[in-house]
Amino acid sequence: MGTTASQLSKESLSEYQELTFLTKQEILLAHKRFTELLNKSEKGDPNVRIPMNKINSLPELKSNPFKDRICCVFSTSEHKDGSLTFEDFLDLLSAFSDSATLEIKSHYAFRIFDFDDDGTLDRSDLEKLVNCLTGETEETKLSPDEMRQLISNILEESDIDKDGTVNLSEFQHVISRSPDFVSSFKIVL
Amino acid sequence: MSTVSEPLGGSGRSLSGARRHKSIRKNSRKIYSAFQDHQQGSSDDEDKVDEKVDSNDPEEMFQNIQYQKEIIANIRSRPWPMRRKLKVLKQAREIVLKYEGRLTRTRGYQTAGADLLKKLSRLLYNIVVLFIPWEVRIKKIESHFGSGVASYFIFLRWLFGINIVLTVMTGAFIVLPELLAGAPFGTTRSKTIPKEHLASAQDLDTIWSLGGYLQYSVLFYGYYGRVRKIGSAGYRLPLAYFLVGMAVFAYSFIILLRKMAKNSRLSLASASDESFTFCWRVFCAWDYLIGNPEAAESKGAAIVNNIREAIVEEQEKKKDTSLAVLISLRILANILVLLSLAGSIYIIYFVVDRSQKLEQEKPELTLWEKNEVSVVVSLITMIAPSAFELVAQLEMYHPRTSLRFQLARVLVLYLGNLYSLIIALLDKVNSMSSAVQVSTVNWSDSSSFLATISHPEGNSLSTLVSDIALSENQSSTTATIATMLAVTNSRISSGTIYNQTVLFEKNTRSQQDQCWETYVGQEMLKLSIIDMIFTVVSILLIDFIRGLVVRYLSDCCCWDLESKFPEYGEFKIAENVLHLIYNQGMIWMGAFFSPCLPAFNVLKLIGLMYLRSWAVLTCNVPHQQVFRASRSNNFYLAMLLFMLFLCMLPTIFAIVRYRPSQHCGPFSGQEKIYDIISETVSNDFPVWFSKMMTFITSPVVVLPALLLLFMLIYYLQSIARSLKFTNNQLRMQLQTERTEDKKKVFQMAAARLQVPEAAADKQPDQQESDIRSQETSIYTPSLQRNSIITSYQSPVHRGNTIRTITQSASRADLNGGSVAGSVRRPAVTVLPKHCLENNPNSRPSPFLGGPSGACRSKSYHHMTCNPPPHCSDSIHSDPLYRKTIRSVHPVEGARLITSQNYGVRRGHTTRYLIVNEHESRKKLLRSATRIPRHYFMEEPAEILELYPLNVRRCTPCTTYHQPHHYRSYSSQQHLSEEEGDEDQRKGRRKMSLGKAHRPRSLSDLHQPPHFYIGDRVENHITIDKEKRTARGRYRAQEKDEEEDGVGEVGWGGAELHSQSQASVRVADPLFLQTRRHIHSPGRPCLSPTGPRHTESHVKSKTKPKLETPQTESDSASLASSSDQQNSSADQYIQVINNKERYLKSEPRQGKTSKKKFKTSFELKNTESNDLLCSNV
Repeated sequence: MGTTASQLSKESLSEYQELTFLTKQEILLAHKRFTELLNKSEKGDPNVRIPMNKINSLPELKSNPFKDRICCVFSTSEHKDGSLTFEDFLDLLSAFSDSATLEIKSHYAFRIFDFDDDGTLDRSDLEKLVNCLTGETEETKLSPDEMRQLISNILEESDIDKDGTVNLSEFQHVISRSPDFVSSFKIVL
Repeated sequence: MSTVSEPLGGSGRSLSGARRHKSIRKNSRKIYSAFQDHQQGSSDDEDKVDEKVDSNDPEEMFQNIQYQKEIIANIRSRPWPMRRKLKVLKQAREIVLKYEGRLTRTRGYQTAGADLLKKLSRLLYNIVVLFIPWEVRIKKIESHFGSGVASYFIFLRWLFGINIVLTVMTGAFIVLPELLAGAPFGTTRSKTIPKEHLASAQDLDTIWSLGGYLQYSVLFYGYYGRVRKIGSAGYRLPLAYFLVGMAVFAYSFIILLRKMAKNSRLSLASASDESFTFCWRVFCAWDYLIGNPEAAESKGAAIVNNIREAIVEEQEKKKDTSLAVLISLRILANILVLLSLAGSIYIIYFVVDRSQKLEQEKPELTLWEKNEVSVVVSLITMIAPSAFELVAQLEMYHPRTSLRFQLARVLVLYLGNLYSLIIALLDKVNSMSSAVQVSTVNWSDSSSFLATISHPEGNSLSTLVSDIALSENQSSTTATIATMLAVTNSRISSGTIYNQTVLFEKNTRSQQDQCWETYVGQEMLKLSIIDMIFTVVSILLIDFIRGLVVRYLSDCCCWDLESKFPEYGEFKIAENVLHLIYNQGMIWMGAFFSPCLPAFNVLKLIGLMYLRSWAVLTCNVPHQQVFRASRSNNFYLAMLLFMLFLCMLPTIFAIVRYRPSQHCGPFSGQEKIYDIISETVSNDFPVWFSKMMTFITSPVVVLPALLLLFMLIYYLQSIARSLKFTNNQLRMQLQTERTEDKKKVFQMAAARLQVPEAAADKQPDQQESDIRSQETSIYTPSLQRNSIITSYQSPVHRGNTIRTITQSASRADLNGGSVAGSVRRPAVTVLPKHCLENNPNSRPSPFLGGPSGACRSKSYHHMTCNPPPHCSDSIHSDPLYRKTIRSVHPVEGARLITSQNYGVRRGHTTRYLIVNEHESRKKLLRSATRIPRHYFMEEPAEILELYPLNVRRCTPCTTYHQPHHYRSYSSQQHLSEEEGDEDQRKGRRKMSLGKAHRPRSLSDLHQPPHFYIGDRVENHITIDKEKRTARGRYRAQEKDEEEDGVGEVGWGGAELHSQSQASVRVADPLFLQTRRHIHSPGRPCLSPTGPRHTESHVKSKTKPKLETPQTESDSASLASSSDQQNSSADQYIQVINNKERYLKSEPRQGKTSKKKFKTSFELKNTESNDLLCSNV
């Protein structure tokens, strides 16, 4: 406890509390978990990045089919390699925390689902999304027919303006009606 | 951006308001677009906002500070990366600090205080979080098994909290006073163990069955003394006992209802009947909490099943195969379930009855006999659900439905169990209390007996008789039973006297022993204990041992244990929650008779928490059919409420109906338990109070009060109904508005195409745009800020659109034929200039140094801009437009302003252009149908397609430009600048629009090909042929138009053909047209692409080629970047056309500045010639 507390200055700790939905304990825990992933030599550096595969080895993310996307969305890296700094990591946890608002959760969910980062969920995004959920194995993967039907059904339901894609507002509209999105869009360390 | 405020700053405060407004909007806008620009250096927006407020006006400062505070308060709910949030926060804080002190000292203190308060509250929150029990444990479970499983534990924890409160209530107000101040053990008869029991009082089995010392302890009702005031303080224990007993129920009700209300407030879902089955199944399918690979696997399987199921359901909505068999199976299943329910109820009743008999026959009971009832009840509660599950498999319902059935059945079973138990117990109580009466009668005198008899209760009489019969075991008395009802008192007394000798022996025992309240309390506690034991055993046996067996024996078994028969135990959330509810029901039922029951339940829940969580983490897999957590929360609570009500009823009934035991408990000696209230009122309160109480409780007051209550209920209910009605009404309105809107948009578009009066003035359009802005907000109630933004912007943007349309339209009108070439030139010549001007603002571009003619630079324009697909076209195209306007007006503001304006306009123009594009297409449709008016109604979907595109495309575009937040503002400015021109133009436009709209879109399309081809050719860029065919198609249209003059009929016909796939007619002119087009620009410049062009156009003869490319370029363009480039090129080209048109209209008005013509006339020669021929 002493070491983690000393590494995070009081000031930044309170700032993080201000800027995220996390409590002090959660931030400290996050810091502890984060530093555990670091090598010895990197520990002093506040801006050190943890590569995506290391983040994904966290048990909380390990079995998540969207782990790569999550890392990419929250990463501020210039190389778009999905590596996270501690602040990115906190951002991630904040968005996935208990008290985060529906709005912010749905925003990030949208970005996670938006595989090509073009600001809309089009058919290819949806297809990737479904494939992520079902897995790539033969018996679980949907057949092309099923996929087509599914996607057209999704679009029929959510695509209010009928442009063939789901944009953020449409997505949020759908999500806000969902009873258990907020409770399931959570990651707890 | 600080420079922006300077030129405009003169107008002072009104502007500051606008600025604030703007910046707020901008900030909210940022949320919307944050993910496009977050990679870029986007944080400079904030810097600008914050810097620019430097005025000394206190009001303004105050507003600014408020705004900054708003930022600070809301910053965490913005989807920005941390660094940016940090920066903004720091800046906002700085500003607040800097200016707040300057405002007034008190305000500074206020903020300091608020700061302190906030810190304290945060600290407090942090501490409170520490004390939430099992938070870590639940989080761990959550992160392994998802929210569904966690919901069980959260529910358990919530129940635990309730029980803690109940325990505190009973403990503090009943148990502790009795222990501290009440008469000590052994002093009174009700507190001493009878002599014959004393020997066995410490035996394990006696203790186990809650007899002996336990029976005569604070655990049960019987122990409490009847002394009205105990201790030196005069604590009124009986009164407290009664009040606390009632308060337990009251508290439970209140807390439950509050929780339910909160839950229902939280969930929007219950209110709306919209269902997004597929979306939810995909978007909300994954439970991000799941961290355990096994859980993830099963979750994945569940998702796949779910999706498949939905698809299959959709495919064959309802296929009734072998309906008869199914129905008969279901009937059978229901009969089985009903039978088992009836059976379980009968068994419980039978067991209670038997135990009663045994108790009276044998002085000493074995351990089994003592615990028979509770064991049987627990066994039933454990086994029956599994049996129901087996039965449910017969029914072949949808899993969800079957789960609901299962839950309902289990609930009925539990309720049936509890009820049959309590009824049997009360029955016994009945006999007991009457037996006591009988014995007292026999013991003392017959007059008191007569008195007791004379307050006769039908069944107490009969049970009295049966009791006598049982105790005597004589057939003669059973004979008397038959005649009993009609019998007189003397006859009974004679009968009892006759048996006096037999009864007398029992009297000594029954006096003390027969304390029915204690008995009921004992039974409930016993039941609770046994239930706990069974739960523990079932967890150990069914989950743990099974898990062990499956895990370690799966290797040495012939089938796969893990996936086939025994498997791992599933964690059945719904049933476990139901079990908790059942357990809580027992507590409520028994709490009055056994004050320590809540305390015991607390212990039980703690144990259950640890055991369950351990079992879940070690040897369970989550249920395949996860009963959704949050959706079912209120469902659970509703069941709990139901349970509470039903469990309260027997207790209340017993309190009201039965006479309390004579020799034990706080109410002994009273006629009814609730007499304690009236007694207290009459004895301990002043006379006026009791008078008032009697008055209040008299029918004079009670009846009106009741009436009032009913009226109130009725009133509230009618209000609720009307609210519901208005709700529905509003929703309907929204829906109609939405459809109306679509129609309107459509109409507007068509009006522009067709009717002069519709396009004559902007008014309807503006209105329409307003509606549209409303619509956007309507569409997405959840959008909050975003929707607001769009609604802000859309009017403006519509306005622009309209204007540009009209401009272009006017041009088309003017553009008779040969005029076009000359008129067009100016626009073209302007292009390079803008390009050059603009690029420094947006981004250093390599082409700046490119020494080239106008034609070339124009082409550069395309090519260099295209690589960053989103922004380039908009950046460049719009400036062009803007610039032309600028140059028309003598007003030459600072370059920066214009550039900002460009930024502002960029989004709009692009949007508009797409609209145009669509309109042209739409027009095709219309002309194909040939019933223009009908078109709006028939094809609302089409117009729908227009908008999304625009919006979508503009979002990526605009967000790249940092000045976008000035959009509305500067466009307004723009408006005002142009107003004069606008007015003049408008008049002309009105006239021209009649025809204009139609050729307009064509002319939009008209021009592009030339530039386009030129560009492509010069730059040797290979483009998809399909793209070109699309363009070729444009040309075809264009051609058609030219051929047909105004082109209404013939063109429509052509389009009709193209629509109906008889593309021969189209293709021919197309071919001609393309030749004409291509060869003129292509020849002088480059040959290699030439053939390809023609080729592509030839290809375009075939209909699919004609149709598909266009749509692709519209909708699918975003999918790939190359497509994007092309489509953006489309837009770009159209922009240019607009400009040209605009310019062309300008010369007509005599407003044109000749400068524009000057620059590169000669360079455009080839092009203009080209245009000429194409136009003619």
